[in-house]
Amino acid sequence: MTSLSSPPGDLAPPPEMRDTPLNWIKNNLFTPWYNGLITVVIALILGYFFYTFLTWSFTEAKWDVIPRNIQLFNVGRYPRSQYWRLWVLLGLICTLSGLSWGAIARNVAKLYSRNILIGIGCAVVVCLLFPVPLPNRLLLVGMTGLVVGFSWVGQQAGRKNPKFGIWVSSTWLLLFFIALWLIGGGLFLRPVSSNEWQGLMLTVLTAVVSIVICFPLGVLLALGRRSPLPIFKGLSIAYIELVRGVPLITLLFMGQVMIPLFLPDGMRPDRVIRAIVGLTLFSAAYLAENVRGGLQAVPRGQAEAASALGLSTPLVVILIVLPQALKAVIPAIVGQFISLFQDTTLLAIVGLVELLGISNSVLANPQFLGRFSEVYLYNGLLFWVFCYAMSASSRWVEKKVNTEH
Amino acid sequence: MTSQQPSTMSDQSANTSPEAVIVAKDVHKWYASNKFHVLRGVSLTVNKGEVVVVMGPSGSGKSTFIRTFNALEDYQKGTITIDGIELSHDLKNIDAIRREVGMVFQQFNLFPHLSVLQNVTLAPIWVRRKKKAEAEAIAMQLLEKVGILEQAKKFPGQLSGGQQQRVAIARALAMQPKIMLFDEPTSALDPEMVREVLDTMRSLAKEGMTMVCVTHEVGFAREVADRVVLMADGLLVEEATPKEFFNNPQHERSKQFLSQIL
Repeated sequence: MTSLSSPPGDLAPPPEMRDTPLNWIKNNLFTPWYNGLITVVIALILGYFFYTFLTWSFTEAKWDVIPRNIQLFNVGRYPRSQYWRLWVLLGLICTLSGLSWGAIARNVAKLYSRNILIGIGCAVVVCLLFPVPLPNRLLLVGMTGLVVGFSWVGQQAGRKNPKFGIWVSSTWLLLFFIALWLIGGGLFLRPVSSNEWQGLMLTVLTAVVSIVICFPLGVLLALGRRSPLPIFKGLSIAYIELVRGVPLITLLFMGQVMIPLFLPDGMRPDRVIRAIVGLTLFSAAYLAENVRGGLQAVPRGQAEAASALGLSTPLVVILIVLPQALKAVIPAIVGQFISLFQDTTLLAIVGLVELLGISNSVLANPQFLGRFSEVYLYNGLLFWVFCYAMSASSRWVEKKVNTEH
Repeated sequence: MTSQQPSTMSDQSANTSPEAVIVAKDVHKWYASNKFHVLRGVSLTVNKGEVVVVMGPSGSGKSTFIRTFNALEDYQKGTITIDGIELSHDLKNIDAIRREVGMVFQQFNLFPHLSVLQNVTLAPIWVRRKKKAEAEAIAMQLLEKVGILEQAKKFPGQLSGGQQQRVAIARALAMQPKIMLFDEPTSALDPEMVREVLDTMRSLAKEGMTMVCVTHEVGFAREVADRVVLMADGLLVEEATPKEFFNNPQHERSKQFLSQIL
């Protein structure tokens, strides 16, 4: 009764639910007895796999295949004399990432919290252990330094100028073209043919370009599919259903083999561009369906209330419906991006030398015959790092835009 | 009065006051999907500064009727003139009318991804092309007026239903409309929150706002309405002062309706 009569000001705090680790294990893993049995069996199985993997990786595995070919894995046969251009590009990306981080965290009192410092430490260790020549490792540490240093600059600038965020976003767009210029050359730089764009660089390039283009395309298709105008609606449905009925590999082969047949010699677009077009057109159809799901989740009253305020239909869509629709399907959209990233491996089949393609040519080298496990594990690790980064940032964005509490 | 048809009564009031801001004449509507004849020739005139309460059983078409005033519903026959502009299918025309007509919905329909302040400033900034600072100053005044100034930075999901509905009223007022439409504004509220919303509407009526309210709040209708209108089965059955309507209903359908809600 005392708790009922106490004023709302001093409500009782929740009881402490502390547990010793030993108790926790006993309660969660060994009660009742058959749970204990399952725990032991699973622990044995996991332990066995872990043990075999570790013994393999320390005794049998010949990891030297990775450091000896690291430049092939990273940039393939990109001309050595032009590596500096890629370093400049990486430096620009790191600088801009730092500025963006600072701009986003402009209202955070302590930019370098304990967790962030641990993260920076880990990044430095990874850079130092990355199997490239020593000067390059130091350069990589320098890149980490760029991110950290410019995050501070970004935070200061973001606090002073509220428009700074917009400025940084538009610079990202600009960087996109600078990147193509730095990689491809032309305009004072030695041109590097797209046949020499290879390795991880090509994987990331095709994935990023496809993601950036397929997103607006997918949104437009989703809107088109819900349009009251029959022409837009019909064309969108036809496109989406046609593309979804064809496997990606077919589209890619069509891009590489069929398009050149139809176009005159001079007009043949670049192989990389054809690959990007294939990936983009394919992903846009799937993305459109994801976005349509989000559009359907927005209650009709939202659009009605916005129209009743006098907003024109385009404004209703851009300001009210789309933000809510996209917010609802962030996980699905990022899932689509992740699978697009992984689908870039199919480019190896149509003859582009991206990460998997270069790995296959490394494995074809008589010196490294039969090192499948090492090379593919390395590929897997790289893919995991990129995909995990995407899904982590998607969770972060979701948290950031959540306005319901 | 009793022998007169409702439509002629509205014509009369249109003649006595030259400042009719809503003139609906013989409005018919069929639903596109099932050809249901939901409005069967409804006429109503609302004068400037008047508060008209529309009552009636559910399914009588009262919400549909007031939603035709800002073209959220279209109609197939008849004419509706809002503030001298006849509603047509011309989009520019519709936008012009919507700028002058504020609407408050049963389900609030606040924009959940925008803060309370952004909800209120959105339309003034994008439709009236106001400067952000100016729009925010007006919004703060309105939020103070409806009593939720301290919640301006919160999101709609963090407010109670009554607070949300008051934000919705402020959002509609921010466009400085000449007419306010209320579509069952208190029906989705918990009982203890009905009063705060009705109080806001009451003070709005006192300031001389032209209001058309679909509501079941008899107390509000008695106290605030200049006229009460009863709709049933897509027809306007009775139109009278609240005193006459509640104490001495003329039409059989009105008597039946009142016996159920009083």
